[in-house]
This record gives sequence, structure tokens and C-alpha cells, in this order.
Amino acid sequence: MIKVQGITKKVATQEGDLIILRDISLAVAQGESLAITGASGSGKSTLLGILAGLDVPTTGSVSLNNHSLTCLDEEGRAQVRADNVGFIFQSFQLLPGLSALENVMLPLELRGNKKAKSLALDFLAQVGLDKRMSHYPQQLSGGEQQRVAVARAFASQPKILFADEPTGNLDSATGARIIDLLFELNAEQGATLVLITHEDRLAARCQTRIELSAGEMMPSQGKQ
Amino acid sequence: MLALKLLLRNWRSGELKLLAVSLILAVAVLSGISIFSARLESTLLLQSNSILGADAVVSGSVPISQEWIDRATEDKFQQSFSTMFMSVVYAGDEMQMASIKVVDSYYPLRGQLDISHVAYAENAVDIRTASVAPAAGEVWVDSRLFSALKVAMGDRVSVGDVDLTLTNILIDEPVGVNPFFNFGARLIMNIADLPKTNIPQENYQWLLAASNSKKLTGFLEKIKPELNQHQSIATIESSQEQLTANLKTAKNFLIIASVMAVLLAGVAIAIAARQFSMRHTNQVALMKSLGASAVRVRLLYFGQLLMLGVVAALFGLVIGYGIQEIVAVNIKQLYHITLASSGAYPYVLSFIGGLVCVLCFALPALWFLPGVPPLKILRRELAVNMPQVWLQIGLAVFAMVALVGLFSRNIKITLSSTLGLLVVLVVACVVSWLLLKISKLFISNLGGVWRLAFAGMQKRRGQSVVQVAIFAVALMLLLTMTIIRTSFIAEWQRQIPADSPNHFIGNMNAADVADFKQFLLDRRINVNPIYPVVRVRIAKINTVEPSAELRNRHPAFKQELNVTDFASLASDHEIVEGQWWDLWQKTAPNSVGVSVDAEFAKLIGLHIGDQLAFSVGGLALNAEVASFRRIDWESLNQNFLFIFEPTALDRFSPIYGTSAFIPTGDTQYFNHFAREHPNLLVLNFGSMIENIQKIISQVSNGIGLVLWLTLSAGCLVLFAAVMGSIESRKQEAGLLRALGSSRRLMLGSVLVEFAILGFLSGLIAIAGAESFLFALQHLVFKNEMQPHYAYWLASPLIGMVFIATLGVVCCRTVVVTPPAVVLREAT
Repeated sequence: MIKVQGITKKVATQEGDLIILRDISLAVAQGESLAITGASGSGKSTLLGILAGLDVPTTGSVSLNNHSLTCLDEEGRAQVRADNVGFIFQSFQLLPGLSALENVMLPLELRGNKKAKSLALDFLAQVGLDKRMSHYPQQLSGGEQQRVAVARAFASQPKILFADEPTGNLDSATGARIIDLLFELNAEQGATLVLITHEDRLAARCQTRIELSAGEMMPSQGKQ
Repeated sequence: MLALKLLLRNWRSGELKLLAVSLILAVAVLSGISIFSARLESTLLLQSNSILGADAVVSGSVPISQEWIDRATEDKFQQSFSTMFMSVVYAGDEMQMASIKVVDSYYPLRGQLDISHVAYAENAVDIRTASVAPAAGEVWVDSRLFSALKVAMGDRVSVGDVDLTLTNILIDEPVGVNPFFNFGARLIMNIADLPKTNIPQENYQWLLAASNSKKLTGFLEKIKPELNQHQSIATIESSQEQLTANLKTAKNFLIIASVMAVLLAGVAIAIAARQFSMRHTNQVALMKSLGASAVRVRLLYFGQLLMLGVVAALFGLVIGYGIQEIVAVNIKQLYHITLASSGAYPYVLSFIGGLVCVLCFALPALWFLPGVPPLKILRRELAVNMPQVWLQIGLAVFAMVALVGLFSRNIKITLSSTLGLLVVLVVACVVSWLLLKISKLFISNLGGVWRLAFAGMQKRRGQSVVQVAIFAVALMLLLTMTIIRTSFIAEWQRQIPADSPNHFIGNMNAADVADFKQFLLDRRINVNPIYPVVRVRIAKINTVEPSAELRNRHPAFKQELNVTDFASLASDHEIVEGQWWDLWQKTAPNSVGVSVDAEFAKLIGLHIGDQLAFSVGGLALNAEVASFRRIDWESLNQNFLFIFEPTALDRFSPIYGTSAFIPTGDTQYFNHFAREHPNLLVLNFGSMIENIQKIISQVSNGIGLVLWLTLSAGCLVLFAAVMGSIESRKQEAGLLRALGSSRRLMLGSVLVEFAILGFLSGLIAIAGAESFLFALQHLVFKNEMQPHYAYWLASPLIGMVFIATLGVVCCRTVVVTPPAVVLREAT
């Protein structure tokens, strides 16, 4: 589960400290889904980064499956990410030099998984791209690239999956198919899902939704 | 092993190719040159030693110490004993003065004895190489002695009190410690027959050779302090000073050239590694977001680099070996010289050099990768703590100093290269920065192509400055190599021009001189000065007989000297004090004027006006010192310690001598002439000159190879530097094309941009090359500095044309690819 207590994020600028997040507290139970919405610049990505242990808050604490991220150094947080976390990004973040299969295999290989290839193939089949496993990202359409990214995220069977605007670069039909895929696989694996989105229909499919405005949680939001 | 998997994937994606090619080239250059240099050096040493007949010769007028012989035997050196003297040789009713060489059956230790049954044999079928020196009871004579004695194979020839059987005619032999001993008729016999001649042995020569030259050098160093004052050690260095100097120069050149080529490849490695690391920033951020720790990332990337380094170094070794083998085969076909083997050392050194290149040039560029924050995967704009380009250049300069120092082991070469490169780097940066600054003022008044070109340079200001620096360094190194090679070869050709005299002809009487002049005229051969020669002994200096101490200072006091009188001053002589005959006024009426070798005069403390008394076969010749001459002893012309004023020697019935270049086609006519004038003393220097010319050709070939490798490395650097800016150009090109810019306009701006960068680099490069050459010539080669005006014009033009072409070729794909594709790839 994810537990966040009073986090604030400030960055130093020439005009003085800029507060990006202010006093955010929330909790997401294991297997639940959380949607973070808000306008551009509201601090969604910063919050996701802190929740995933990619960044640290200026004040406050974050706990991920009982690991206090704020007490760990980068190496410790990397270990927590390796054991618990998966990502889906808006710009897919597939490595251009690797084939679809190799992109899916990468997180498994980083964990030293001996069955990386068969597992990756299995997940590629689940997203319907097993026939295109040897294709490179530039040979795939945007939707196909995101399906590879979904397969990569689920292949390492994360306990928590973070998705940063997973449909942001896709048309609405393709986006809808990706959302279906995402929720199907998540239901199978029982992972906690945290996603950032602009889309109401995507946010609506999550159990919890919070909206950020100028770095603060809007008071009206809570469990749906 | 994940690092290996990633390496293979990166290789397949093409990202590592430039890095790998640069690494392979660096090792190929290093190994090619170091293997070739090692082979050349050992071959040249062997060949040079074959001129001497051994690796070293201890000679003197006292017997060789038995203790030294025992030590040499213990050290397993090859040894041979010989002696030389002049004596009259008899055969039937004929007699002839000859140089006698008495050798044991091990002679020569280096080189060979060519023999024949045909006098003056020139055809390969008539000549064979003797497996051993003449056996006891046998004698070999040279063609001149063979003709003079009118003998046939199997005839008896007497040397002193011993009768020996003539079994072969000696065609060619090692020149030995004193090449002038071979002057005139020669005879070679076995040392076992020496006691029977009853000729007292006054000369002892101990020839030494060893497979381990360091061991022999050590041995010679040890016995040097024990040498008697009448003994000396000759090695190829001491006996062939000019040749040795040329070899050292060539070796220094090869070292500098190889280090330059490696530096160029190093720059290419650094650029390629930087491009690789830039492309991998996102990959590292992704890997870290997936839980890879900084340590893991470091191990994965450094592991890849190490594996790439090892594989590339092995490939480089194979290619390096192949390249030098091609040259070796070429040399074998052209000159019939088989290069000796190099041993394992250059292979090991080159392999280590390759790894040093990886560590010094590639690793710094990758060092920051593990520090890429994982958050960058979410926020692309996040700054990465990258090493500054200047820090990288600083490290590369440091690496350069370390590499040059390691390979040359010569502080002067290291300092010169560093100085040259630093000058170029500083000037390149300052000049290009100034140009960009100034261009801001007039950019808005320029036409389309020019405005776009300058705007591009302004936008990529840092990159443009770095590109000028890289282009300038690469061009500077190439220019330096070209200039050094051209001037070296010209210098060597000057020292031994193709028409150097190849024969000395002596012992001519006045009638012979007329015949000889007629012969030269008939064959249309140039006539060199013909000197009257008499043999004198120095009797007194300023009415005092030379003291024992003075006599020990120069061998001229202990032997008869050839002197001449001559009216005109030879071109390779220079008066350093006093006056030549046209201006000289004598002070003593009974003296004749004499011009003395300046070095000899300094050694014995002579002054202008001093009186010298000579003995000419018992007759007195008094002379007043009129001038001191500086003599070029390295030239193959005839030189004299003493030259008297014209006609001064007429009353002593001089014989005449000269040197001449007898072209190959005229050799048989000359031999015929010599046969008809058996009293002439003839020394054929042809084979020695040919050997030296062969050596120079080999070295020139080697230098040619080095230049080509350096050029390849230079092109690679230029290519890498241009490719470095391709990424940033792609997006810009896509945008401009989408907005309707024509291909012509864009290619034109690329052409202008790279032409400006190339022109600037060429100008800076020649300035750097001149300062580098200045340092090199003053510190290393000790030559006079000559400005190279033609290169000041050529360098900027070549830089402009070459780099503009390269830029257009490399950027063409960016411009001609449809904008949609470019924009999609760039996102």
C-alpha cells in the first residue's frame, strides 16, 4: 500500500522558493486504483515521481509497501522500485535500439529473471503483439508502442503500477483500447494502480480520484 | 550476462559502431606502427651490422684480453677473430700491394661473403654466398688483384712466407670498422695460416654478435673502462654515424606519428563515447526507474565498454598486423629484404594502449551516466549533471601527455606535442568565439544562406567552438606529419643524392689522369676534381716535434697522411678562419701555404700563421697555416686534413685520386678501363650507398604508411565531430523544411557553415603545426626552422573544401529526408 503524510515539494528559483506541492496526504490500499487529475502545472507528475520513489519531498513522508522512501537513499529507493514498482509513460519510453520483445525483457533481465524471454513473450501475447516481437519501436504505431509498454510494465509483475498519462499521446479509440488492457491486466495481477490523467472517463474507472490545483489537493475529492 | 546482451543489442542498433571503429583504428595504428617499427629497427640493425660484419668490433694494436673472451663465451656471444694489414702479394712473377684480411672460420658474424669464379662478376648466376670463410691453405682475392696477379683458380698465391691456393674471387664483403681499408686490391685468408706468413701481427680485431643486444651493450659498457688506450670499440652507431642519426630521426618520427594517429583516434573515441552517452541518458533513467542502482548501471556500462575495448583491441591488432605485413611484403618484393620478426612486445604494448584509450578517452564521457536521476524519465527537461566539455578536453589532454610520454619516453617530444596542441586549442577557441561574437553584429544584414549558416553557428555556439578546435587539431596533426615527412625525405636525399660518388679511384699517374678524363668524356660522365696526392708525416709544429701527449690526441701523428694541393675550394668546405689562396699573403718566404681541417686545428691548438714541417718520403716540406676549413665529413666526397697551395706538391711526384659516380650502365666499361690500368686503386662504394638508399626507402615506406593511417584517423575524427551535431540539426531541419525552406537553401547554409569552420580550422591548424614543428625541430631534430609559406595558403583552402564536403555529405540525409520522418525521429 501507499501512505503519504504531509508532503511538500519546493524548488529554488531565481525569484525564491517555488512550492510545487503543498501538504499532500493520502493512502491507497493494496489492489486499489487511484487517479490523479489536474490542470497542466498542477504538480501531478511531481506527485507521481515522489510516490514512485523517483524523487523525494522537501518535507513529509512516503511509505510504499511498508518501506519508508523518505528514510532511504537513492540506492535504497532503487531497491524498493525494483521489488515493487512498474511504470507506463505518456511517451512510451521504449528503447529505440531494442525490439519489442527485448524492451519487455529489460526489467526482467535487470532483476536477473532467468525466464525473462518466455515471460516477455507471454505478456506480448497478452497485449496481442506476439507476432511483432522482433519489430523495433519505430516500426510500430503509437498504440502498439504503448501496448508494448503495458506488457513491459506488467511483465515484471509489480505490486504497484504507476501510469503517467498513458493515453496522452494516443487518439481516443486507441486510448480506450489501452485503458481496457490496463485495467484487465491490473485486475488479473491485483496490483495497486496510480495513474495520472486528464481524461474523466479514465479517472472514472479508478476507485479513488484526487484533483490537484496549484500543488494542493482539492477538498471536494475523495473516494467515489 | 546482461552487460554482454546489452553490448550486442547496442552494437546491432549501430550505436557503438563509431566508437568501435575509432577504437579499432587506434589499436590498428598503434600495433601497425609499433610492429612495423620494431621489425624495421631490428632489420635495419641487422643490415647495418652486416656492413660492420658484426654487432660490435673491439680492435686495437694489442691482443684481446683472455678474460674478456672467457666472459663473452660465458655470455654465449658469437665471436670471431681477425686481423688486417697491408702486404705485397706474389703469384709467379707478378707482385701487387694488397689489403690482407685474415679471418677465422666464423667470419663474418653479420652479413655475408659473396664469391665467384668470374672476375668482376655482376650476374646473379655467377655469384654465390660463401657458407664459411676461406679454409686453411686457401686464399680468395678480389677481381682487381685477380687481374693484377694474372692468376687462375687453383694457382698459388704467396703472402709473406706462406703459399696458399686460390679458390675463389671475392666479390663483396662487409665493409668493416674502417671502410677505407678496402681501398685497392684485397685478399682474404684463414687465420690458421697467419703464423706461417711470418708477418708480425700488429692489429687485433674481435668481432662480437649476440641475439640479445641489451646484454651485449651491457658487456661492452663493462669492458669499456678496461680498454687499453690503443683499443677501441666500434658499433654501427660509432662507425656509421650519419646512418645512425637518420635511423634515430626516423624512429622519433615514427613515434611522433604513431602517437599523433592515436591521439586523433582518441579524439574520435571521445566524441563517439560522448554521443553514445548522450543517447543513453534516457535509457539509464528508464533502467533506474525500473530499480537498477547506480552501481548496477556503472557495472553494466563499464562492463560493455571493457568488453568492447578488448574485442576492438584484438581486431585492431589483427588489422595492424595485416597493414604492416602488406608493407613488409611490398618491401620484400621491391628490395628483396625480409623484415625480421618483432617479438611479442609491440602486440602487448598496443593492446594495453587500446585499453588506455578506452580508459582515457571513452570512460570520462560515460562517467556521468550512473548519476542520471531516475526522475528524468518523467521530466525530460531535468538537467543532468554532465561533465563539462572542457573537463573532458582537459582529461583528453592529460591522457595525451600520458600516452605521448609512455610511448616516446622522450620528455622533449612530449613537451613539443603538448605545446603544439595547447596552442591550437586555445587559439581555436578564442578565434572561433571572437568570430561568433563579431558575426552577431552583421548577421541581420546577410543574405539567406549566410544568415542561416551564421544563425546555426550562433545557436550551436559551444558545439561550433568545439568543432573548430577538433578540426584544427586534426588538420594540424595531418599537416605536421606531411611537412615532417617531406622535409625528412628531402634532407635524406640531400645527404645521399642519387649521383653520389660510388667509386674512389687512386694511384693514378699523370698519363692515367689523361686516360681517365678521356674515359669519363667518352661515357659522358661528370668529372669531379682530380687531386694530386702525396703521403706525408707531420714532423714539427712551430719547429718543435709533437710531444707524446699530442701524438696521442689524433691518429694523424702516427701514420702517413694523404695530402693534396688544390686551387679551388670544394663546395662542401668552408673557410672559418684565415684566407683561401686567392686572398692569402704568406709571411715566411720559404714556406708554402696550407689549409687545415678546423676541428683538427682546434684539437691540437694550431693558429693561423703557425709553421708546420712535414716529411715527404724523407724530403722536407715547410708550410705556414693559411686557413682553417670546416669539412663535411658526412659527404662521400674526398676530403683532406691538409690542402696545400697550388703546385706546392709538384716536386714530390704526386699520384692522383678522385671520386666519381659511375652509373650502373657504365660499370662494365669502367671495369674494362680498370683492367687496362692495373696500377689504379679502386674502391667501389656502390653497394654501401645502395644499402643506405635501401634503408632510406624502407623508412620512407614506413612513414608513408604512418601518414595514411594518420589521415584515416583524422577523417574519422572529422566525421565523428560532424556526426556529433547531426542530432541537433535534425529537428531544426525538419522544422525548417516543414515551414517551406528549400533543400537548396538548407544545403547551402550547411555548406557555408562548414566551409567557414573549415577555413578557420585550416588557418589555426597551420599556425599550430608551425609552432609544433618549431618546437620539434629545435628540441628533437635539431634542424633549422623554415616557414612553410605554401602551407599557409593551402591549409585554410584544404580545410574549407574538405570540411565543407564532409559536412554536406554527412548532413545530406538530414536535409533530403521528408520533414515528417525527421520530426518523428527527433521526438
